[in-house]
Amino acid sequence: MAHSPAAEITEIQLEVLEFRLAQESYAVESRYIQEVYPLRDLTPVPCTPAFVLGIVNVRGRIVPVLDIKKFLDLHEKGLTDLHRIILIRGEDCEFGLLADVIVGVRSIPFESLQPSLPTLTGIRSDYLKGVTAERLVVLDLARILADPKIIVNDEVIA
Amino acid sequence: MKWNVGTKMAAGFGSVLVVFTLVGVVSYRSTTQLIEASDLRKHTYDVLGNITEMLTLLTDVQVGQRGYVITGDDNYLEPYRSALTKLDQTFQDLRRQTADSVRQQGRLDALDALIKTRVAYSREVIDFRRTNSLEAAAQMIKSGKGETNMDEIRKLLGEMQSEEEGLLKIYTEQSASDARNAKWTIVLGTLVGLLLAAIFGVLITRNIAGPLQSLTTVAERITAGDLSVNVTADARSDEIGLFARTFDRMTQSLRTMAGAAEQIAAGDLRATITPQSANDVLGNAFARMIDNLREQTRQLLEGANVLGAAATEIVASTTQLASTATESATAVSETTTTVEEVRQTAQVTSQKAKNVSESAKKTAQISGSGRKSTEDVAMGMNRIREQMEAIAESMVRLSEQSQTIGQIIATVEDLAAQSNLLAVNAAIEAAKAGEHGKGFGVVAQEVKNLAEQSRQATNQVRTILSEIQKATGAAVMATEQGSRAVEGGERQTATAGESIQALSDSVTEAAQAATQIAASSQQQLVGMEQVAVAMENIKQASNQNVASAKQLENAARNVDDLGKRLKQIVERYKV
Repeated sequence: MAHSPAAEITEIQLEVLEFRLAQESYAVESRYIQEVYPLRDLTPVPCTPAFVLGIVNVRGRIVPVLDIKKFLDLHEKGLTDLHRIILIRGEDCEFGLLADVIVGVRSIPFESLQPSLPTLTGIRSDYLKGVTAERLVVLDLARILADPKIIVNDEVIA
Repeated sequence: MKWNVGTKMAAGFGSVLVVFTLVGVVSYRSTTQLIEASDLRKHTYDVLGNITEMLTLLTDVQVGQRGYVITGDDNYLEPYRSALTKLDQTFQDLRRQTADSVRQQGRLDALDALIKTRVAYSREVIDFRRTNSLEAAAQMIKSGKGETNMDEIRKLLGEMQSEEEGLLKIYTEQSASDARNAKWTIVLGTLVGLLLAAIFGVLITRNIAGPLQSLTTVAERITAGDLSVNVTADARSDEIGLFARTFDRMTQSLRTMAGAAEQIAAGDLRATITPQSANDVLGNAFARMIDNLREQTRQLLEGANVLGAAATEIVASTTQLASTATESATAVSETTTTVEEVRQTAQVTSQKAKNVSESAKKTAQISGSGRKSTEDVAMGMNRIREQMEAIAESMVRLSEQSQTIGQIIATVEDLAAQSNLLAVNAAIEAAKAGEHGKGFGVVAQEVKNLAEQSRQATNQVRTILSEIQKATGAAVMATEQGSRAVEGGERQTATAGESIQALSDSVTEAAQAATQIAASSQQQLVGMEQVAVAMENIKQASNQNVASAKQLENAARNVDDLGKRLKQIVERYKV
C-alpha cells in the first residue's frame, strides 16, 4: 500500500459512510459520496458484467448500479433488501453502490484500520483501505475508480 | 264218384241236350229234302206248262193261218203273228229247263225241225192266199201236208209230257217217304230226351239233397244249443263233402268254445282260446272276454287285498279315534275350566285398560305444553342469531379499519425512512463542509435520531396493530363459530320441536289406542262369555263324538270282515 497521503494525515479522523449489505458492514469515504438515494425503478441492462445490476434514473441522470460483493467476488450470503443506493462521483464517472441499510456517517481513526483481511487475497485486497475492529470493511474508492474494469464498463455504458 | 256237383249237373243236362240236338238235325235235314223235292216238282210243273204253251202257240199259228185263208183279212193274222214272236222264247225256255235230261233234249231237237217246217208251211200258205183265191188256198190245205206235220208235233209233245209226269210221280213218292221218316225221328228223339232228363234229375236230386237234409238237421240241433251231434263226414270230394267237413270243424270249434266257457264257469280262467281267423268275431270276443275277465279278476283280487288292508287300517284308526275322542272330551272339559279363568282375567284387563286410557289422556296434555315450550326456544334462538349477525358485521368493520391504520403506519414509516435518508445526506454535506459543517452535522444527527424514534414508535404501533388484528381475527372466528353454534342450536331446536310434535302425536294416538283397547277389552269380555257357552256346547258335542267313534269302530270291523270275505271269494278264481 502506498501511504504517502496517509502519512500526512495520520492524526486526521477518516469521515466515512457506513452501510450494510447482506449482513456485512461496509464503509466508504464521504468525500466521494454525492448523496444517498432510495433504489427505485432498477432497469437491468444486457451485455454487462455480472456486478452491474442495471441502471436507475436519478433526477434525470442515468446512473449504473454496482453490487460491491460481486465486484469483490465475495460469496452471496442470503437475500438482500436492495432498497438504497449510494451515489459515487469520480473525476470522470458516476455510479451507484447497492446497499441494504444506510447506517450513518461516522469518523474513524485512521490507525484503527487493520490492513489485511484473511478472506480477501490478491487483487481483491487492493480495493480495500482496511478493516476496523468492528469488522467494518472500508473500501478504497480511489482505486476502484481507477480500475480499468470501471472504465471498460464506462465505455459500454456510454 | 269223383265228380263235383257242377260236373254232375253239366253231364246230365248235356246228354239231354245232345239228344235234342240230334232230333233237331234230323228235322232240319228232312225239311231241306222236302223243300228240294217241292222245288223239283215245281220245275216239272213249269216244263209241263211250257209244253202245253208250245202246243197252244202252234195251234194259234194254225188258227191264224186258217182264218186268213178263209177271210183274206189281215186282222185274222193277229194270233199268227203273236204266236210267232212267243214261239222261239218258249222253245228256248224248254231247252234250258230240260238241260239235265238227254232224252228230252233229243226230242227237242226233233221238235225244233218240226216247228220250223210247220212255221214255213204256214207262211207259204199265207203268202199263197195273198196272191190267190180262197179255193186255191183251200186246195193247197187239202193236200194234208200241214196236218201230218201237226200230228207229229202233237205226238212228240205228248211223249215229253208223259215223261215229265213220270218224274213228277217219282218225286212225290220220295218226299212222302222223307216226311214219314222225319216224323218218326222227331217223336222218338223227344221221348228219349225226356226219359234221360227224368233219370238225371232223380239222380242229382238224390245225390245233393240227401246230405243237405242231414246237415240241416244237425244245424237245427246246434241252433237249439246241442253240441253233442257229430257230422258223418264221408270221403266225398265234392262241395257237399267240403260243406260237411267245414260244418264238422265249426261244430268242433263251437265245442271248444263251449268247453272254455264251462271252464270259466267253473272258475278256472286259465283257458286259452285261439281265434280261427282274424275275422273270428266270436273267438276274438271270447279271447278278449277271457283276457278282460282275467285282468278284472286280478284287479278285483288286488282291490280286495287293498280293501282288506285299508279296512284293517281303518279299524286301527277308528280305535285310535275312539280313544282320541275320549281324550279330547277330557281336554275339552279342562279347556272349559280354563276359559272360565280367562274370562275373569279379561275382566281385570278391561279395568286396567280403562286406567291406562285416562293416563294416556293426561300425557297428551303434557306433551302439548312441551310443544309450546319448544316453539318459544326456537324464537329465542332466532333472536340470538340476529344479534350474532350484527356482531359479525361490527367485527368486519373493525378489521377494515385496522387495515387502514396499517396503511397509515406504513406511510409514517416511509416518512421516517425518508427523514433518515435526509439526515444522512445532511450529515454527508456537513462532513464535506468540514469544521463549518460540524454544527449542522449535530442537527443532522438529531434529525436522524428523531427519524429513528419515529421508526421505533411506528414499529410499536405496528406490533400493537398486529395484535389487534390477531384479536379481531380470533373474534371474527369466534363470531363465526357462534353463528354456526346458533344455527346448530336452531336446527336442534327444530328437530326437538318435530320430535316433541311426533311425540305428542304418538301420545295422542296412544291415548286413542288405549281408549280402543278399553273398548276391545270390554268386547273381549263379552266374547269370552260367549266362548264359555260355546265350550260347554263343544263339551257335549265331544261326548257325542266319543259315542260316534265307538259306532264307527264297530262299522269298520264289519267292513274289515266284508273285505276278508270278498278276498276269499275272489281267490276262488284261478288266474
